[in-house]
Amino acid sequence: MTTAIDSAAVWPDDAEEVEEGVVSNWFVREGGHVEAGETVCEIQIEKVSVDVPAPESGTLVERTVGENEEFRRGDVLGRIETES
Amino acid sequence: MAKTESDPGTAGADRELTMSRAMVDAIASEMHADEEVFYMGEDVQDYGGIFDSTQGLLEEFDRDRVMDVPISETAYVGAAVGAAQAGMRPIAEIMFTDFVGVCLDQVYNQMAKNTYMSGSAVNVPMVLTTAVGGTYNDAAQHSQTLYGLFAHLPGMKVVVPSTAYDAKGLMHAAVRDDDPVVYMFHKRLMGIGWMPAPEGPKTPVPEDDYTIPIGEADVKREGSDVTVVTLGLHVHRALEAADELSGDVDVEVVDLQSLVPMDTQTVVESVEKTGRLVVVDEDYQSYGVTGEVTARVAERTPDALEAVERVAVPDVPIPYSRPLENEVNPQVGDVVEAVESVT
Amino acid sequence: MVGVNKLREMYEQMVTAREYEQRLQEAYLEGKEPAFDISAGPIPGELHLAAGHEASAAGVCAHLRVEDTVTAPHRPHHIAIAKGVDLDRMTAEIFGRETGLCKGKGGHMHLFDPDVNFACSGIIAQGCPPAVGAAMAADKRNEDAVAVAFLGEGAVDQGAFLESLNLAAVQNLPVVFVVEDNDWAISMPQPRITDVKTTAQRADGFDMPGIRVDHDDAIAVYEAAGDAIGRARDGNGPTLLDVQVHRRMGHFMGDPQTYRPEDDQERAKRHDSIERLAEDLREHGVDDDELAEIRDRAEQHVADAIEWAREQPEPDPEAAHEDVFVDEPTAASGGDD
Repeated sequence: MTTAIDSAAVWPDDAEEVEEGVVSNWFVREGGHVEAGETVCEIQIEKVSVDVPAPESGTLVERTVGENEEFRRGDVLGRIETES
Repeated sequence: MAKTESDPGTAGADRELTMSRAMVDAIASEMHADEEVFYMGEDVQDYGGIFDSTQGLLEEFDRDRVMDVPISETAYVGAAVGAAQAGMRPIAEIMFTDFVGVCLDQVYNQMAKNTYMSGSAVNVPMVLTTAVGGTYNDAAQHSQTLYGLFAHLPGMKVVVPSTAYDAKGLMHAAVRDDDPVVYMFHKRLMGIGWMPAPEGPKTPVPEDDYTIPIGEADVKREGSDVTVVTLGLHVHRALEAADELSGDVDVEVVDLQSLVPMDTQTVVESVEKTGRLVVVDEDYQSYGVTGEVTARVAERTPDALEAVERVAVPDVPIPYSRPLENEVNPQVGDVVEAVESVT
Repeated sequence: MVGVNKLREMYEQMVTAREYEQRLQEAYLEGKEPAFDISAGPIPGELHLAAGHEASAAGVCAHLRVEDTVTAPHRPHHIAIAKGVDLDRMTAEIFGRETGLCKGKGGHMHLFDPDVNFACSGIIAQGCPPAVGAAMAADKRNEDAVAVAFLGEGAVDQGAFLESLNLAAVQNLPVVFVVEDNDWAISMPQPRITDVKTTAQRADGFDMPGIRVDHDDAIAVYEAAGDAIGRARDGNGPTLLDVQVHRRMGHFMGDPQTYRPEDDQERAKRHDSIERLAEDLREHGVDDDELAEIRDRAEQHVADAIEWAREQPEPDPEAAHEDVFVDEPTAASGGDD
């Protein structure tokens, strides 16, 4: 089963009025293993960088938003195929 | 040059890190392993380093191990010298390499010379980290690399990582070294949000510790027609140039990684293979890296060397305006031109 | 209150230091006359002698242990002696011999004796930051060791000193800064180059105590140093000691002192901290015979050290390439890797 990496879940409190961000770095390749809680990518909202943790352990099957691509708050950033 | 035993290779590493995260990974690991390792610099606590050199360390360590210091480079770099001579392993950061001027005495007259002047009665096991380089319009006093300055003055080892993998391996080596090591990290390669890195420095990085021996160069791209010797940011510009020339000229890219000691042997072997040398450096041309590499090759293997071209920042202060800075900082096109001129 | 045994120790150190500087002066001038040639003779180069400064070193080092770190400036011999540096090997180093403290590589301005945690440096005030660093190490390791940085009054305008005061204060480090004020920064009298009336006042700007000790009084130095070092050991931070001394000789050997008024030189010679301490010892019941015995022992100690040093071999020229790095005994110069 796949779990979505949700951008809204990690939105910083002091960027309430901002609706767009950029994925500045992915740290795992498609097909790579991730542990729950491990930083899987970094997003940039205006001047603030936020580390995005993997919500579950499993395989990163899709980088839905690519590096240096923009997304809107609430967009899915990527998908993880979980173990169970 | 083949990767050595201490280097487990990147095979199997699922995670890719930016150069800054790889550097911090190594620092954190060394600090966990040895209480005597500590980091000090300006804005390294809550800010995590202006160029992300200590990002996240404060979450793992107390403020007495990750120390913010006053804007007093002479005092705190000198304090690092004193603490190192007492047996600790401090890592002291000069925020911009350009600032070494304000504490140069502690660096070149104390840190670098105390081992020699004492006949090895004392040694100075410290790391001096510093951010180098331009490409973002920070002008003459904030854009330098000064590779030649540090390499020229005797008594300090100098390393310049160009990728995340190299950054971690060289940091482990630097901290464990019993001599002073100047660790020069390029701002543009760190993977900072507000200064995006080009393709290349973000690489797979193994979880476990590994060292890259100081004094070894790394052939980043094998080729048979021309040897391009370079370091730091320009490893990536050279690789881009090599891709552009692919099919016409087969370019070998040698990443020096260490300036002191320099791996002359790897450079010489490459030139004996290709006969043609291009040296690319983001430091001033005269009396620096390009002259040094050329001279060493000429001394060791004059018959093999058919042609040489130096590509460096000309002997001018780095200008502010974008077209002016791009003129002085070697671009991919400049490397391509230099390669073409020797073939 | 200082006990008579401690006073005896200090007296012996001071007499040894004075004798040492005088004998070194003679050795230094060998081969350099009639026309002064700085590179000639058994002790070439510069030599900065501390005749007249002895009380400052003796009074401060009386409170120090082997594990306490001392950094000293280019006028270091009296401090080295008071800290317990090996006199034979120090002398051999000054004579540039292979068996010197630094294998002949440092010379008189760069003496390192890690056995007693002593080092000196030839760049004005640059011994201050490393002393702060040694204090930082003691602090991090929760040891009650302290560090002492000695410097001259001419050094107090150097950034390294001022920065060190601030860093020591803001981090509450166990370091004491001892300024030996002999009025002269080579040829520049202090009032010409520094605005505050006393160096001790500088401490106010850095939120630390500043204590001025008047000329020639070794016991006064001892007492002030005891307070300062005790404060540091107890975790109460740094202190600045401003000790008045006399420079009995020129700044360096060869200095004709034409800039210095005759009466200033005379006054320096008339006021002698060693004579004064002898008086103090007599008041404590020590008789002249014993004082003479101490002086004889000091003279012998110095003579032996110099004789030993003169017999030591010169270094092998090839050794010049070694000791750049610890793990590579031969230096990587000119591309040898």
